[in-house]
Amino acid sequence: MFGRSRGWVGGQGKAKNIHSLDHLKYMYHVLTKNTTVTDHNRNLLVETIRSITEILIWGDQNDSSVFDFFLEKNMFAFFLNILRQKSGRYVCVQLLQTLNILFENISHETSLYYLLSNNHVNSIIVHKFDFSDEEIMAYYISFLKTLSLKLNNHTVHFFYNEHTNDFALYTEAIKFFNHPESMVRIAVRTITLNVYKVDNQQMLHYIRDKTAVPYFSNLVWFIGSHVIELDKCVQTDEEHKNRGKLSDLVAEHLDHLHYLNDILIINCEFLNDVLTDHLLNRLFLPLYVYSLVTQEQNEDRKINPQVSLYLLSQVFLIIHYQPLVNALADVILNGDLTVFTTQTEQNTHKTSANSGVRRFTKPPESLERSLEMSRHRGRKKTQKRPNYKNVGEEDEEERGAEEGADEEKAKEIEMVVMEKCKISDVSTLTEQNITDEEKSAAAAAGTEEQRSRPFLDMVYNALDCEKEDYHALFVLCLLFALSHSKGINPELLEKIQLPFPGEDRSSYSHVLVERLIRVMNHAALPDGKVRLATLELSCLLLKQSVLSASLHHQRRPSGLSGGCERRESSSSTEGEEIFLDMFEDEYRSMTSKPLNVEYLMMDASILLPPTGTPLTGIDFVKRLPCGDMEKTRRAIRVFFMLRALSLQLQGEPETQLPLTRPEDLIKTDDVLDLNNSDLIACMVVSKDGVQAQRFLAVDVYQMSLVEPETKRLGWGVVKFAGLLQDMQVSGVEDDSRALNITIHKPTSNPHAKPLPILQASFIFADHIRCIIAKQRLAKGRIQARRMKMQRIAALLDLPVQPSSEVLGFGQSSSTSASSSSSQLPFRFYDQARRGPAFASVDRVPGFAVAHVAQQRSSSPNSSSSITAHSESITMSGVSTHSMSGLEARAGGVRFLSRTMPESGFRPPHPGMSALSLAAFSSASPRRVH
Amino acid sequence: MAYAYLFKYIIIGDTGVGKSCLLLQFTDKRFQPVHDLTIGVEFGARMITIDGKQIKLQIWDTAGQESFRSITRSYYRGAAGALLVYDITRRDTFNHLTTWLEDARQHSNSNMVIMLIGNKSDLESRREVKKEEGEAFAREHGLIFMETSAKTASNVEEAFINTAKEIYEKIQEGVFDINNEANGIKIGPQHAATNSTLAGGQGGQQAGGGCC
Repeated sequence: MFGRSRGWVGGQGKAKNIHSLDHLKYMYHVLTKNTTVTDHNRNLLVETIRSITEILIWGDQNDSSVFDFFLEKNMFAFFLNILRQKSGRYVCVQLLQTLNILFENISHETSLYYLLSNNHVNSIIVHKFDFSDEEIMAYYISFLKTLSLKLNNHTVHFFYNEHTNDFALYTEAIKFFNHPESMVRIAVRTITLNVYKVDNQQMLHYIRDKTAVPYFSNLVWFIGSHVIELDKCVQTDEEHKNRGKLSDLVAEHLDHLHYLNDILIINCEFLNDVLTDHLLNRLFLPLYVYSLVTQEQNEDRKINPQVSLYLLSQVFLIIHYQPLVNALADVILNGDLTVFTTQTEQNTHKTSANSGVRRFTKPPESLERSLEMSRHRGRKKTQKRPNYKNVGEEDEEERGAEEGADEEKAKEIEMVVMEKCKISDVSTLTEQNITDEEKSAAAAAGTEEQRSRPFLDMVYNALDCEKEDYHALFVLCLLFALSHSKGINPELLEKIQLPFPGEDRSSYSHVLVERLIRVMNHAALPDGKVRLATLELSCLLLKQSVLSASLHHQRRPSGLSGGCERRESSSSTEGEEIFLDMFEDEYRSMTSKPLNVEYLMMDASILLPPTGTPLTGIDFVKRLPCGDMEKTRRAIRVFFMLRALSLQLQGEPETQLPLTRPEDLIKTDDVLDLNNSDLIACMVVSKDGVQAQRFLAVDVYQMSLVEPETKRLGWGVVKFAGLLQDMQVSGVEDDSRALNITIHKPTSNPHAKPLPILQASFIFADHIRCIIAKQRLAKGRIQARRMKMQRIAALLDLPVQPSSEVLGFGQSSSTSASSSSSQLPFRFYDQARRGPAFASVDRVPGFAVAHVAQQRSSSPNSSSSITAHSESITMSGVSTHSMSGLEARAGGVRFLSRTMPESGFRPPHPGMSALSLAAFSSASPRRVH
Repeated sequence: MAYAYLFKYIIIGDTGVGKSCLLLQFTDKRFQPVHDLTIGVEFGARMITIDGKQIKLQIWDTAGQESFRSITRSYYRGAAGALLVYDITRRDTFNHLTTWLEDARQHSNSNMVIMLIGNKSDLESRREVKKEEGEAFAREHGLIFMETSAKTASNVEEAFINTAKEIYEKIQEGVFDINNEANGIKIGPQHAATNSTLAGGQGGQQAGGGCC
């Protein structure tokens, strides 16, 4: 009734009365009169508690006497009293909200100390609320989170009691680490991190000694269970239907890894020791690494190798904690199956069957129970608290309580054992290193006594992508992640020679480079089953392997890739006119979005078998091409990547790509010498009706609109410049003096609607000038495109025909090109002089059809070229060029017939990679040390 | 208590922009805004009605996420809606929006509805960010925009409810997979049974519609 009326009055005048010491005194009075919660006074109590909250916060901000009164009268005790009466949800929620607000809003440190000083807060923390109620659960965990945010070296003493070994805030919170509600789990993680962050040795020792083993072992089990679910999701997938669920599970795994990493980077050493031990010996090694090898005893194998490769990549990409990742990498690179058996021998005095062994097993008891036990022990026979979770475990619990002391001892021993194991591990690992060195030295001497490295063998073998690159992509990611990890000892990586390519004692680097080249070979096949992401990664890794080595190592692989690129791209040139646009588009999108391995490894879709269809929504680089268009796009990209790789390996700069460099173009506000240039005066009317008097100038690549420069006669200021190749010109129906001109901005997204950068009608003095302009633009467009195509042809090392064969066009173009380009720094100039070989772009509607027909007959898979012809409409009316057009067509056909045999399947030379490898290895007999 | 859906929200933005005050203002009407009292909370829940359906909103303040990457990630992922708040009297809080948005877009599921909120609209005299700027930012990034005041309660209701409406519409369109709780949407306990037909239909739609 009270709260009700208050709600209505509101207002500042009344509020003043409500927010006052007097009012708090009245509230206190209400509490003393209602110490027992009944159905009748429930509402009153709730409103009283709520009002008290409000007054307290107001007091903290405005009048400290309010706070003094609250403490003096020990009003917190009333809250506890109410809480303990099982007063029901309504009251509970109100109390929890009050506590949340109280600790969230209090600004004065002394107020906070007072609130925490009498241990009431801890009593509330351990109170068993009805956690099945999601709202109570949410308020409760938020309350704990709010408290954890207040933790520091001073306040921690209010929560952690070193005498009784009690740290309710922490122990109660971690009990919910695997709560089904994600927000609750997040809150628990926040709380634990906030606790670990406090630099209080005693508290941290308590955490390690009493809680770390139970918590981390359960956490590790929880993560592993998710991984197994994830694996099941991959296994049972049909036609990518599980993708939604899978991406959640992957995100969950990433969350876990980031959480673990957040703990590790707090860098509390002895916590990290325990965590590392658990992660390594209970999860990463037995579940992830062990699953890499296919064993006869299949029941031990938990997850699919591709899943484990994927997850391991994530581990190395996210976690950089040296002791952990180094040990893990060492097992993968050097270890064999004995790492799963040898440890058992060392644990002779171990009590429970599965401790110390590297096995992914369920912790012997639930976290909650472990913590209970530890509390019992600490307190010597405290009454067991009712526990909503382990109802029905009574007997066990009692038995456990009796054996409590023993178990504790056992646990302590176990921990010591584990630490010992760690040390001995490290030493055996270093031993292994030494023997490795010896063995590889022996291998170099020719007496190869192959030591079994099943994990590394598996990794290398999975690089085979003859049939598919499903596994190969993950392996490449894993190798990439390994070689980029800050936590891995560089010496370890010499085994795969990634960052230290100068070292060539190990036989493995050759294996790796050979496999990488094989991947590229497969990628370069017209129907290779290698995705672009896989190719890009193998290029990255190959560069990393060989680039820092001395130069003569590099000849062979680069020569090889040159071979690949030519073969591949020539097969795709039937793309015709649109080919140029695709070519430039692909270059743009590839350079604007270089591969990010970390993002790639966050994508769950690559966990499912590679697919070709874009209907899955999977990114183009992460799937196989679908249809001729995409095959061409893929071929172009393969060409770019291999070309870039090849140039880089040879230490040559890229001078040909992109075909259009922005710095070579005429830009707005450039001042040009236009003496002796053909200029046509016109009125440019833009779409929104703005008119401007301009001169139209057509250049090699661009058309520009200029204004006379006032200071120099014959010079002009560029007001607009656009690429001729992206231009569309059309006549205006009822005005023979006007043209509509549109120039689109080149886009890197093939699905995006082209954005016009110019859309205007041009009005000329008379229809003759209009026709001249139209012809000049049309011709300019053809030439611009043809010259680029020529440059592509030159790039692909396609045969360039002597200009005499295409007389009509060849002459005019070569003269005009040379005359105009002589003033411009275009890089293709030399090729332009050689004359056009690539005439297939020049097509006028009249014979475009014939051309298609011919093409059809000559090449069965050129259907994609049809799309190209829609653009050639811009050419209509260029009747004077029909002769040269015919010539051009002839050239085109000749060109096609020339390329066809090239484009046919040519399997990679079987000896090629072996050959290059041989050369590669023979070129590097030196030892760098 | 019965609800058809539960939507989980998070509130993000620089410290001091009034996130927890907005939250308390919305979730608990009993706390009247008063000039000499700044009061907020980190968690709140409230029932609203959309289209005749009871919908429970659960709002989590993301306090404490700043220091830990794992926490940021998880928060975003678990929410169906996000209120991105800045303070109209502090230009820097507006300037940081891009960073917040990048984070949100990177970590959240793509369907998360983001509402941009310019808070403290009652402090007109100290305004540093024009309303038009907020509108432009929202338009550019495809967000819903509103200026609110936790102090006067102006627009607070609308901000939360409009976000919920947007989420609700997305559910109707079948964009959200409601059977996947990781999206920050939960079907009410007693509605789970009645909704199973709808859910099934939606699931099928998803499988079919997933291709676009």
